[in-house]
Amino acid sequence: MASQTIATTQAARRRRGRLRRRNALVGWSFILPNFVGFAVLTLVPVIALFYLAFTSWNAFGTAPWVGLDNFTRLIGDTSFHTSLTNTVYYTVFHIPLTLAASLGLALLLNRKLRGVAFFRTAAFFPYITSIVAIAVVWNMLFSPEFGPINQLLSFLGVQDPPGWTTSADWSMPAVIIVATWREMGYYMLLFLAGLQTIPPELYEAARVDGANAWQRFRNVTIPSLRPTTFLVMVLLTIGSFKIFDLILVMTNGGPGQSTLVLSQFIYQKGFVENQFGYASASSIVLFAICLAITILQFVVNKRRER
Amino acid sequence: MKRSQMTAVGVAAAVALSLAACGGGDAGSDDSGSAGPVTLKISGWALNATPEFQALADGYHEENPDVTVEVVEYRDGNDYDTQIISDLAAGTAPDLYVLKNLNKLWTFQTGGQLLDVSDVAGELDGDVSGVDSYEIDGKTWAIPYRQDSWLLYYNKDLFDAAGVDYPDGSWTWDDYADAAETLTAGLGDQGAKGTYQHSWQSLVQGFALAQTPDADLLSGDYSYLEPYYQRSVDLQDAGAQQTYGTVTTSSLTYQAEFGTQKAAMLPMGSWYIGTLLAQQENGEADDFSWGIAPAPQFDDSTTGTDNTPVTFGDPTAFGINPAIDDAKLDAAKDFLTWVAGEGGATVLSELGVTPALTNDAVTETFFGLDGMPADDLSKFAFSTHDTRPENPVAAETASVQSILNDAHSAIMSGSSSVADGISEAEDRVASEVGLG
Amino acid sequence: MATSTLRPAPLTRSSRPPRTERSRPLSVLGRVLGYLVLIAASAAVLLPFYWMVMSSLKTNNTVFTAPIQWVPEVFQWHNYVDIFTRSDMTTWLKNTLILSVVVTFLQVLTGSFAAYGFSKTRFPGRDALFLTYLGTIAVPWQAYMIPQFILFSKLHLANSLWSIIALQAFGAFGVFLMKQFYETIPEELSEAARLDGLSEYGIWRRIMLPLSVPALASLTLLTFVNTWNDYLGPLVYLRDKDLWTIQLGLRTFISQYNAEYALIMTGSVLSVLPIAIIFLLGQRYFVEGIATSGMKG
Repeated sequence: MASQTIATTQAARRRRGRLRRRNALVGWSFILPNFVGFAVLTLVPVIALFYLAFTSWNAFGTAPWVGLDNFTRLIGDTSFHTSLTNTVYYTVFHIPLTLAASLGLALLLNRKLRGVAFFRTAAFFPYITSIVAIAVVWNMLFSPEFGPINQLLSFLGVQDPPGWTTSADWSMPAVIIVATWREMGYYMLLFLAGLQTIPPELYEAARVDGANAWQRFRNVTIPSLRPTTFLVMVLLTIGSFKIFDLILVMTNGGPGQSTLVLSQFIYQKGFVENQFGYASASSIVLFAICLAITILQFVVNKRRER
Repeated sequence: MKRSQMTAVGVAAAVALSLAACGGGDAGSDDSGSAGPVTLKISGWALNATPEFQALADGYHEENPDVTVEVVEYRDGNDYDTQIISDLAAGTAPDLYVLKNLNKLWTFQTGGQLLDVSDVAGELDGDVSGVDSYEIDGKTWAIPYRQDSWLLYYNKDLFDAAGVDYPDGSWTWDDYADAAETLTAGLGDQGAKGTYQHSWQSLVQGFALAQTPDADLLSGDYSYLEPYYQRSVDLQDAGAQQTYGTVTTSSLTYQAEFGTQKAAMLPMGSWYIGTLLAQQENGEADDFSWGIAPAPQFDDSTTGTDNTPVTFGDPTAFGINPAIDDAKLDAAKDFLTWVAGEGGATVLSELGVTPALTNDAVTETFFGLDGMPADDLSKFAFSTHDTRPENPVAAETASVQSILNDAHSAIMSGSSSVADGISEAEDRVASEVGLG
Repeated sequence: MATSTLRPAPLTRSSRPPRTERSRPLSVLGRVLGYLVLIAASAAVLLPFYWMVMSSLKTNNTVFTAPIQWVPEVFQWHNYVDIFTRSDMTTWLKNTLILSVVVTFLQVLTGSFAAYGFSKTRFPGRDALFLTYLGTIAVPWQAYMIPQFILFSKLHLANSLWSIIALQAFGAFGVFLMKQFYETIPEELSEAARLDGLSEYGIWRRIMLPLSVPALASLTLLTFVNTWNDYLGPLVYLRDKDLWTIQLGLRTFISQYNAEYALIMTGSVLSVLPIAIIFLLGQRYFVEGIATSGMKG
C-alpha cells in the first residue's frame, strides 16, 4: 500500500519531469532558429561591448583594462549629465504624446470609412518620407523669420513667438513635436493590429449592459489592448531613450547643447573622439536605464494580467 | 540556463579579447610577386562628384604601367570616417587611405594605423605645403596631395551695381564688414545681401585661431574668439548677411547663395573654385563675373600685395595602411611621391583642385581654365598665402573642437551672448578636457 | 483626444451593431466635419512629401531658399530621366528589393516561430531569455557597431548582401511583437487543439498564424520599411558599387563641395513610391476581422 503510493508519486514525478523536459525541448525548438542568428550576430557583440566598457579601447589594437575608470569619469562629465537630462526631458513628453496620438489615430481609422486606406497611408507617410526632407520642411516651418508657424502665432496675437530650433529653450519642444508627428503612424499600425484581436462579442455584451461609448472604451478597449499597449510602451520607451537620427538632422544637438541626447553623446565620443571604451560605458548606462524601466513595465504588466 | 549563460559570457569575452587583440590583419594578401605587376588599392569618396581620385589613379598608372591603382569608393562627409575606422579596425582597409581631415591624424597614428613615411617626406620638393602638419614625434605619417585655403570670393557685377570698390588686398575684417554693410544698402532693391557666411564653426574660429597672434586652441583661453564673433553677430544684426537661424532653418547652401547672386561676397575655401566654374558652365549658377581676394586680415600688418596674407585650411593626405603587403610598399611610397609632386599637381589643377604643390606652373594651369577670372589680385590671392592648419594635431583637439562647436551654435543663434558663450566653453574645456 | 465620440468599428460584417445610431442630420454633419478634419490633417502630414516632390523638379540651387519656394519656377522633368542615366538607380532598386524581401521573410518566419516558444510554451529561464532579447534592443547600435563589424569580417560576411540579411533578419523586434499578439489569443484554443491531437508545431501553423494575420501584416510592413530605408547598416557593411542600396546610392549625389539636392529628392520620391504602394495593399488586413473570425467556433 505504502510502497504503491511511493511508486505512483515517483512515477508521477518522473512523468512530470519528462513532461517538463519535453516542454523545454519544444519551447527551445521554436526559439532556436531565431536565437542562433540572434546570439551569434547580436548578442556576442553586445556582450563584447560590456567588456569594452571597462577598457580604453580606441577601435584599433588592444583594449587595455581600466577597471571602473570610464564610469567614474561619467559621473563627473557635465556633457554626459546634460545629455542625460535632455534625453529624459524628451522621453517624458514624447511617450505620452505619441501614445495618445497613435491610439487616437488607430481608433479613428479602425472603422469602415470611405477612403480609409488613403488616410491610413497618409498617417504612415511621415515615417517613410526621407528624414532629410522632414528636417528641412519642419525647420522651415519653424523658421522665426519666414516660418508659417510663427506667422500664425503672431496673427493669433502671440507677442513674442518662440525661436523654435534657433532658441535653446524651444529647440527641444520643436524636436518633440516633429518626433511625435513622425512616429505616430508607426505605433498606429501596431494599435490597429491590436484592435483586430478584440472579439466583437465583448462590445456587443457591453452595449447590452447599457455601456456608453466612453465606458466601452474604458472597460473593453483598454483592457483588451493591454498586450499591445505593453508592446508600444516598451518600444516607445527604448526608442525615446535612443533617439538619434532626427536630432542629428534637425538640430545636431544645438543650439549650444540644448538638444544633445545620449545616443549623440555616445556617437560623438566614439566616432569623433575615438574613445570607444568611454562610449561603451555610456551606452551601458543607457542600456541599464532602459532595462530597468522595461523590467518595471514587465512586472506591472504581469501583475495587471492576474 | 545558468551554465549556458556562463558559456555565452565566456564566448563573448573571448571574442572581445580576440577582437581587441587583432586590429589589422589579412588585407589584400592576394597579390604578391616582388617585381611584377602590382595593384595598389587606395580609398576615395563619392567618385561621381569627386573625380580627383580616379584621375590620380589613372595618371599614375599611365606613367607607371606596372602599377594598377584601384580606387575603393567610400562615402563623403563624416560617413567616410565611420567607414574607414570600421575597415581599419577589421583589417579590411585599402593599402593607402586618405586622411580627410587633419584632426584624424592623431587618432590613426596613435592607433597604429599609419606607416612612417618620413623617407618620402624627405625627398619631396620644398614647395609642397602642409607636410609639416603630419609630423608626430619628429616623424612624418602621411603625405599631403591637396591643400585648400580660405579666400574671399566676390561678385564683380554686384559690386559695380552697388558702386562699391573691389577688394584690393588691403582689407582687414573691419574693412570687410564695412563693405558688407555698404553693399547691402546699395543692393537693397535687388534683394541681395552684402556677404554670405555659412553656418560652419570653422568660418569664425578657423580665422580667429590662424590670424590672432598667440592664439592657442589648447590653452583653454578662448578670448581670441571674441572680436571675430562680435563682428559676425553684428553683421547679421545689421542685416548684411543672413542670420544663422535662417541659414540653418532654411538649410541654405553657399553654392546657391553666391552662385545665384544672393550675396556679393563669400568667404570660402579654394575648393569652391572648381564647383563655381562647373556650375556657371552647366547653368546651375548665374552668369556673372567674379574674382578672388585674399581673406581679410586680423590687422594691417599682413595686408597688401607686398605681404603674405594669413589664412587657414586643411591639407588632405594619403597615409599607408601598416597591413600593406611588403611587396607593395615600394610602389605605395612611389605613389605618394608622385601625388605630392609635379605629376599629381598637374592632374589636380586641371580638375580645378588646389594641389599641395604650389608653383607658377600650377597657377598657370589653374588660370587657364575656362571661366577663371584674369585679374592680378585673383592670381595673387590664389598663389600667395600663409595657410595655417585649422587645428593643432593633439589628443585633446577633437574634444575641444566639439565644445567650441556648441559655443558656436549658442552664440550665433543668439542663445548666449558672445562673452557668456566663450566663458561657458572655457569652463567646459577646463572640466571635461582638463585644459586651462 | 476626443475619445468619447469614437465608436469602435464593426469588426466583422456579420456583427454590424448600429442599433443606437443618433439622429441622422447630426451624424451627417459630424461625418462631413470629420472628413474635413481628416483631409486637413492629411494635407499637413503630407506636406514634407509634397515639398520633396516639388524639389525633385527644381534645379539644385533652387532647392533651398529663404523663404521657401513651394512651386518651382521651371519644372525640371528631366531629373527623372537623368537619375537613371547618370546613376545605377536600377541596381540600387534591385538590391534594396532583394534585401527587403529576404529580410522581411526571415524576420516574420523566425520571429513568429520564436514568439510561439516564448508565449505558449513553458520552460525554466524563459522570461530571462526574453528579457535578454529585449535588452539588446536597448543598446544603441552605434556603440557595438565596430565589434559587430569585426565579427562579421571574421565570418567573411562583410561587404555582401548576406551581411545586411544577417544583421536585420534575426532581430528581437519581430519576436517581441508577435509574442504580444499571441498572448491575446485565448489559451483554450490551443488546449482544444491539443486534445484534438495537434502537435505544438501544428498549433502554430494551423491556429496561431491564421489568427495573427493583422500582427503579421504589421510586422511585415514595418520590417520591410525599416530595411528599405536603412542607411547606417548598408553604410557600414556594403562597399562594392554593385551592392549598394537606394539609401546608400542617393548619398553619392552629396559631396563635400557640391550636392545635387534636386536629384537626391528625385531619388527619394522614387524610393518612397514602392513602400506607399505596398502599404496601400497591406493595410486592408486591418479591417477584415480575420483575427476574430476564427475565435467563435
